[in-house]
Amino acid sequence: MPTFDLTITAIVIVGLIGGILGVCGYLTLGERKISAWMQDRVGPNRVGPGGLLQPLADGGKFFLKEEVIPDHVDRIFYLLAPAVAVGTALMALAVVPFGATIPPPEPVPITTPDAVATFEVQQKAYSESFNFVLAPGLDIGVLYIFALGSLAVYGVILAGWSANNKYSLLGSLRSSAQIVSYEIPLGMSVLGVFILVGSLNPEKIIAWQATAGGTPDPVLGSVTAWLRGIGLAIGDNWWIVLFQPLAMLLFLASSYAESSRLPFDLPEAEQELVGGYHTEYSSLKLGLMLLTEYIHLVASSFMVAVLFLGGWSLFGLESISSNAIVAAVLKLLILCGKMVGLCVFAQLVRWTIPRFRFDQLMNLAWKVMIPLALLNLLAVIFVKQFGWSLIVLTGVNLLLFVGAGVLGARTRGSITNPKRAVKKMPPGLPAGVTYAGR
Amino acid sequence: MPIAESEVTWVQETKLGLWEQLYIPALIDGLKTTLGHMVSRKVTEQYPEQEPKMPLNYRGVHRLNRDAAGRVKCVACYMCATACPAHCIDIVAAPAPAEWQKDGREKYPETFVIDELRCIYCGMCEEACPVDAIELTTLYDLTGFSREQMVFDKEKLLSVFDTTTKAGTDPVRTQAGPLGAASEVPPEVK
Amino acid sequence: MPTVYVNDKPVEIGTKRLNCVQVAELAGVFVPHYCWHEALSVVASCRMCLVEVGDLKDGKVTMQSKVLPGCQTPVKDGTVIVTGEYDKRDKSLPVLPYDPGYTKIAPLGDRAKKSQADTLEGLLINHPLDCPVCDKAGECKLQDFSYKYGRSESRMVDVKNTPPNKPQLSSKITLFTDRCIMCTRCVRFTREISGTAELYVSGRGHHEEIDVFPGRPLENKLAGNVVDLCPVGALGSKDFLYKQRVWYLKTVDGVCNRCSTGCSTYVDANKDIVYRIRGRHNPQAQGHFICDEGRYGYHHANSGERFVRPMLKTEGKFKPAVWSSLLPQLKQEFGDAVKTNARGTVAVLSPFLTVEEAFLLGAYFKSLSNDVRLVMGPVPVIGENDTYPKNTRGESVEPVQFTIRGEKAPNRIGVEAVLNQLQGEVIAFTSIAKESLFAMWFSGGYPDKSHLDALVPTDWKTPALLVAQDLLPTIITASAQYILPATTGFEKDGTFVNHANYMQTFGRAARPPQEARTELQLAFDLLGRKGLVQPDAIRKELAKAVPFFGALAPETRIALETAQV
Repeated sequence: MPTFDLTITAIVIVGLIGGILGVCGYLTLGERKISAWMQDRVGPNRVGPGGLLQPLADGGKFFLKEEVIPDHVDRIFYLLAPAVAVGTALMALAVVPFGATIPPPEPVPITTPDAVATFEVQQKAYSESFNFVLAPGLDIGVLYIFALGSLAVYGVILAGWSANNKYSLLGSLRSSAQIVSYEIPLGMSVLGVFILVGSLNPEKIIAWQATAGGTPDPVLGSVTAWLRGIGLAIGDNWWIVLFQPLAMLLFLASSYAESSRLPFDLPEAEQELVGGYHTEYSSLKLGLMLLTEYIHLVASSFMVAVLFLGGWSLFGLESISSNAIVAAVLKLLILCGKMVGLCVFAQLVRWTIPRFRFDQLMNLAWKVMIPLALLNLLAVIFVKQFGWSLIVLTGVNLLLFVGAGVLGARTRGSITNPKRAVKKMPPGLPAGVTYAGR
Repeated sequence: MPIAESEVTWVQETKLGLWEQLYIPALIDGLKTTLGHMVSRKVTEQYPEQEPKMPLNYRGVHRLNRDAAGRVKCVACYMCATACPAHCIDIVAAPAPAEWQKDGREKYPETFVIDELRCIYCGMCEEACPVDAIELTTLYDLTGFSREQMVFDKEKLLSVFDTTTKAGTDPVRTQAGPLGAASEVPPEVK
Repeated sequence: MPTVYVNDKPVEIGTKRLNCVQVAELAGVFVPHYCWHEALSVVASCRMCLVEVGDLKDGKVTMQSKVLPGCQTPVKDGTVIVTGEYDKRDKSLPVLPYDPGYTKIAPLGDRAKKSQADTLEGLLINHPLDCPVCDKAGECKLQDFSYKYGRSESRMVDVKNTPPNKPQLSSKITLFTDRCIMCTRCVRFTREISGTAELYVSGRGHHEEIDVFPGRPLENKLAGNVVDLCPVGALGSKDFLYKQRVWYLKTVDGVCNRCSTGCSTYVDANKDIVYRIRGRHNPQAQGHFICDEGRYGYHHANSGERFVRPMLKTEGKFKPAVWSSLLPQLKQEFGDAVKTNARGTVAVLSPFLTVEEAFLLGAYFKSLSNDVRLVMGPVPVIGENDTYPKNTRGESVEPVQFTIRGEKAPNRIGVEAVLNQLQGEVIAFTSIAKESLFAMWFSGGYPDKSHLDALVPTDWKTPALLVAQDLLPTIITASAQYILPATTGFEKDGTFVNHANYMQTFGRAARPPQEARTELQLAFDLLGRKGLVQPDAIRKELAKAVPFFGALAPETRIALETAQV
């Protein structure tokens, strides 16, 4: 483990937070540009060349706006809520690797004679290396992220409750139900990954994906060999998405729900709830509330990249240079590129899909995603137990996905959208639609 | 009042097949549409630099038309003031000057004032005018520094006519003749 | 009982001599007409009142084969009239036994209807389409009847006849010759009612025009009536020309206040400005017409000279005052005056006050002290009564159709009745004018200030305290301490009694100037009464207190109104 150095850590914290806030700022610009282009508009283009300084103008505006604290709010919680929201979101970033990482060395069995020496050499090498992560070597890394992700709901609940406003309260209640529900598929979908890799440490998960070709899997081994034979080296990269596509889909959907992005933005559905839980906020507090969502988006994009898309690995591109610094920059760029790509994908999805109805949202989590995640987990357990090839998992994932679809189509209506029977009321009563008993 | 049964249309939700149930194909379909729009031609007009071209039936600032001799075409019949739902037109009529009367002009507006702030730009005045003297132009950027500036008198309304016809943005659209003693032109005998 | 059938409806006519138009009106059927007027002779020139006429004899209706002008066709027992609106008749009535040969050719009413439509097309042949600039538009019979009875399109293809306008017709009246439909109502009026016969029809056929003889313009005191009589916009009043469109005007039943005839009028006002006075048919007051003095006698209401707010003389100059402080001050001053010299305190009640106002004001001063004298205000009398018709030399001839009275005040008799009741005698203004008085309340309301100025003696002594209430500055107001704004006869609700003891109640057509109070309101405030002034309530009180006005009691009024119907 690298020795703890306060200065370096402080510099990394400042750099990380500054970088993340900058990325968030430009994500807002990207969001506005993408939505504009999708709607045949131009988007913000007045501040700076092509509107590039728009985030600064927006930020400045948030600073300069009049700060209104309504009389009827519960002041302590009202003021606490944005701090909690932003704080938890930022803290989750502590264990997210954003560049090159080296996993802590495996324990060395003492059966070999030079075990201690080997161990010390490995430890020395590890402590001298630099990891692009704030708290490197945290073995419970992903659990930590989930823990803080669950805390994020407090910001929303506090905001909605303290505002003493029906819209805010409804928004926060929806939000709490939504976030608590989606915690389960979020966590359950990645359990398979942990079982495959055998660790919760993000650095180790990346390392596994970058070098999965080394695992004793006969099928994968022969495929790698065949690829080498036709002169196509993939740098031993076997990303987990290949074996767990369903898990990635579930994780992606759950992470959108966790960060309250469309199509799951019910907590702040403007058309229904004015502004949802942040209706009563103004000025920079509103800015922080909005920022929180983007931090969540960035964090979850990093997580998807790390857990499923191989982190800093890109089919050997990461190791074309033997220069340590060049390699580190390359890995940083690759990982950040993946993160940005995922963010942009989230924005594309946001402006493409309409919002779910609340019952659809709940049905999706409880009736579809949780069972699928559970079945996937079961499949991983079987594969690991009987030592089958990982390719089996890919097939099982696809089978589960299509099976769910078939089930949905065969059952009356869909599970996520229960078919409502139109029932004519006797004359004299107002016309209406009721749920038919199923 | 309850809605009449005959006016109620009963709609069943369409049954979704496997393709729709999988959701991802539908998402890709949607993404195709949105991505297609991302690269298509933009419709935004860069307003102050690029001025919109208003359709001729746009209802903007009023003008008072002039007749062939350059006099105000209005005959002060008060039809516009009567039709105006916002009561923004104020006319004071008077017998026309002696030389006008030679052409059959008996009555003319001594003052003709439109409160452009009170106006709702419905175009009823234009509809009501029997001599097509009042028209709404395509001028859309009406601004002023005070309420008084936005109250247009006869001279101002005539100057709107002069500028818009000179600029060619608003040709005189309608051609009803001046009213006067038995001024109707007999219809073509077919 | 002689019975006439109008569109199958039986109407009993008694001994009255009526024509078809009048009988139809009794039956509730309107027959359109232009030239016919109740007060004028019948010429049947417009042909608008064409009806089908027949006879019910021996249980059989024999219809005449052609349509007849209703105005010229007298009715007798058994006359059957079918108008153009036969299809809108009361279908519950039994259908008369019409001759099947007649109804087979054309359904009943069709002949009349088609004749009226053709008549209108003929009348409109030369009529210009200048309704937008025509002052009559909105109350024009030609518009109304074209809409209701006419064809929508003209088949005229030739150029219309456009004779030149004749603004030189009269100083008050102008003629738009091209709009005329030659009903000759105006010509008959000048011949039969005013007798002056200035107007005549020149030319024949297509070239007929109304005109005056050279050097003899239409200048008589009843001339303005021809504008009211004209069913189209041909004759226009120069006084009203282009002032307002008629649909903006609010019409109120008024009573003329310019002489003691007390003509019934319509007062047309818009936004509290009176624009026009027209005659209202009232056989008990004056008949159909009014004189030009009354017709144009509303300008004092819009005069710029008018007092519009109370004023108080301080250091020889009049300064505006506010009612809230002025009223207690006035009450105080008169209370003190009565204590010092009740006999020297007088209240002059002008003949322009309504009886309600005179009653309340008199009651107030009598309540201060019974010694306060109530004085009849100066009654202007200008010359003799002027009667019409006249002959062409300007001499009056019998029988008299219309009288313009010399007494230029509307309500002398009414005020005198109030004074008689309150103090048992009427004191004339001349008898106290030369006394040196202690205090005087002078209520005026004289529309013509020269009338009042002429009646005040040159050696009149200004009382120590003089409160003058008047419309326009006069000798009296010039020497007053307090000037209170008066209200005109259009700005109040009240009752006048005319020369023949005929009582007429009228409504308010316009609100008085903002800071003026009606005399009734003022008397009400002086009496210290609470609440809103309700002229009707005061009228009821007056009817109870003064037997002369018993007819104004509500129950009597209702009885009178029903009797008239």
